[in-house]
Amino acid sequence: MGCDVVTVSTDTEFVHLAWKRCEKELERVNYPMAADPTGNVSRMFGVYDEKTGLALRGTFMIDPEGTLLCTEVNFYNLGRNIDELLRKFKANLYMKRKTNEVCPSKWKDEGDKTLVNPGAKMVGKVHEALEEALQGA
Amino acid sequence: MTDVPTIVRLGQKVPLFELTTYDPTKDEFGRFSMAQQMERRRWTVLFFYPADFTFV
Repeated sequence: MGCDVVTVSTDTEFVHLAWKRCEKELERVNYPMAADPTGNVSRMFGVYDEKTGLALRGTFMIDPEGTLLCTEVNFYNLGRNIDELLRKFKANLYMKRKTNEVCPSKWKDEGDKTLVNPGAKMVGKVHEALEEALQGA
Repeated sequence: MTDVPTIVRLGQKVPLFELTTYDPTKDEFGRFSMAQQMERRRWTVLFFYPADFTFV
């Protein structure tokens, strides 16, 4: 998709290796599994749980300039929805190319309606702008 | 706690951190470097989870 996925937990790289080798569910995993046993990088992103020494389910998207553009953090007991994550990733990649457009909540993929040059004129007229974009799409 | 780290926020540059990795495609240990990602002009998705051998 044009971005490098790296998974991170506070386990060591040795545990990652052992887990990858024995868990059949991970057969298709082909991204690097990073080790953060000190929790320093987990702390950097605000997902380190001091009580347990574990990292919460955080997903972060960083652009090629190193700017953090997307954050989503779930507690232990809630899994991530890959469709929503992919939507956000695609939107960020799209907006990098089309810097005068913004992706509204219903935007799913390239070709869906966006708002172009949002500014003073659009204030109070978002409904009309979305209608217009829909007709143009 | 003596050393309170700053948490990176949306729109900010992330610190140039490095991490040791296990790379399943090579079955080798490796290194993830934020600086290298920027040099190579790559997008990065970090995917944190609590622990190996659990139900991710």
